Amino acid sequence: MANPIAGISPSAMRAIDPSQMARSSSQANDGSTFSALFEQAVSRVNQYQKSADTAVERFITGEDEDLHRVAMATQQAEVSFELFLQMKNKVVQAYQEVMRLQV
Amino acid sequence: MSLFQLLSVSASGMSAQRLRAETVVENLANAETTRTPGGGPYQRKDVVFGSASQSSPFGSVFQEALGPGVEGVEVNEVIIDTREPDKRYQPGHPDADKDGYVAFPRISPAEEMVNLMGASRGYQANVNALLAVRDMLHRSLDLLK
Amino acid sequence: MIDRVAASLGNYMDLLSVRQKLVASNIANAATPGYKTKDIDFQFELQSQLGGETTTPAQVSEVKGLSTHNDGNNVSLDREGRLLSENALRFNVASQLWRSKIRVLRTAVQDGRNG
Repeated sequence: MANPIAGISPSAMRAIDPSQMARSSSQANDGSTFSALFEQAVSRVNQYQKSADTAVERFITGEDEDLHRVAMATQQAEVSFELFLQMKNKVVQAYQEVMRLQV
Repeated sequence: MSLFQLLSVSASGMSAQRLRAETVVENLANAETTRTPGGGPYQRKDVVFGSASQSSPFGSVFQEALGPGVEGVEVNEVIIDTREPDKRYQPGHPDADKDGYVAFPRISPAEEMVNLMGASRGYQANVNALLAVRDMLHRSLDLLK
Repeated sequence: MIDRVAASLGNYMDLLSVRQKLVASNIANAATPGYKTKDIDFQFELQSQLGGETTTPAQVSEVKGLSTHNDGNNVSLDREGRLLSENALRFNVASQLWRSKIRVLRTAVQDGRNG
């Protein structure tokens, strides 16, 4: 399955815990903090978008690009973006719920 | 190497086979022609095919070839059959020479028909290739749905 | 690629596409004197691209074991016609499978939006 969604469930939820967030700088490298995961997801979505754009350009200028490759790249970019959007919404939702908790 | 250029490969095949068929038709129509504007009987024609690289009108400036191994076809030349004409003894014929022989074109209808069938089959095969490629392009488009 | 199987399907479609181009080329040159039938070693190319993206172009080679006509041409319209249909069908299957994979992802997104 796509990594953005799989990555969000266990470890990202743990990362939203405020005490975990304090330690985020020391854990930035192993990718288990939320900000690292988020950045990874952003860069992946960006990558897919760029690949799709390149494929379309090559197709239009008549260079060596098959139509099915263009279609696949476009679909991937679209779906990964949609998934990312959902992930972002869920995270914001969860964060807001946590913030509402009476401490 | 895009599937679109492939359409021009198949189109070249269709053109070449059609030209071949036209030549056969001309030969058959003139099988008994003893008198031509240039003098002498009609001389049978044949086509010679040769591979040719194709470029699609949408091809980029940088793209030279279709890719390894992919070639279209074109009729390189139309050659005139230079064999001796078929001389038949018909003394009453207006084109008979002093010995009573008339020079007829050396055309065998059976041979021409075989050639025509070959051209027809080749043409059909190219049409099928065109349709199959078009189908694959449609499938590729479906990926976007 | 979003997942490994989708990547394999992509490579499969690439190879089918290359093969179909050669088939059309063979058909166009079915009457060209001296022309030899061309093809790729499909299984070999597929194996060498397992999992990863297509990097090196497929090797085009002449097909062995075909009978040659007097003019040096060895194209068999039967063989090419058969390959034409087969490649088109396989491409059809691969593209449908890929579409259903994308559909699954899309459905997950829709479901996530509501739940």
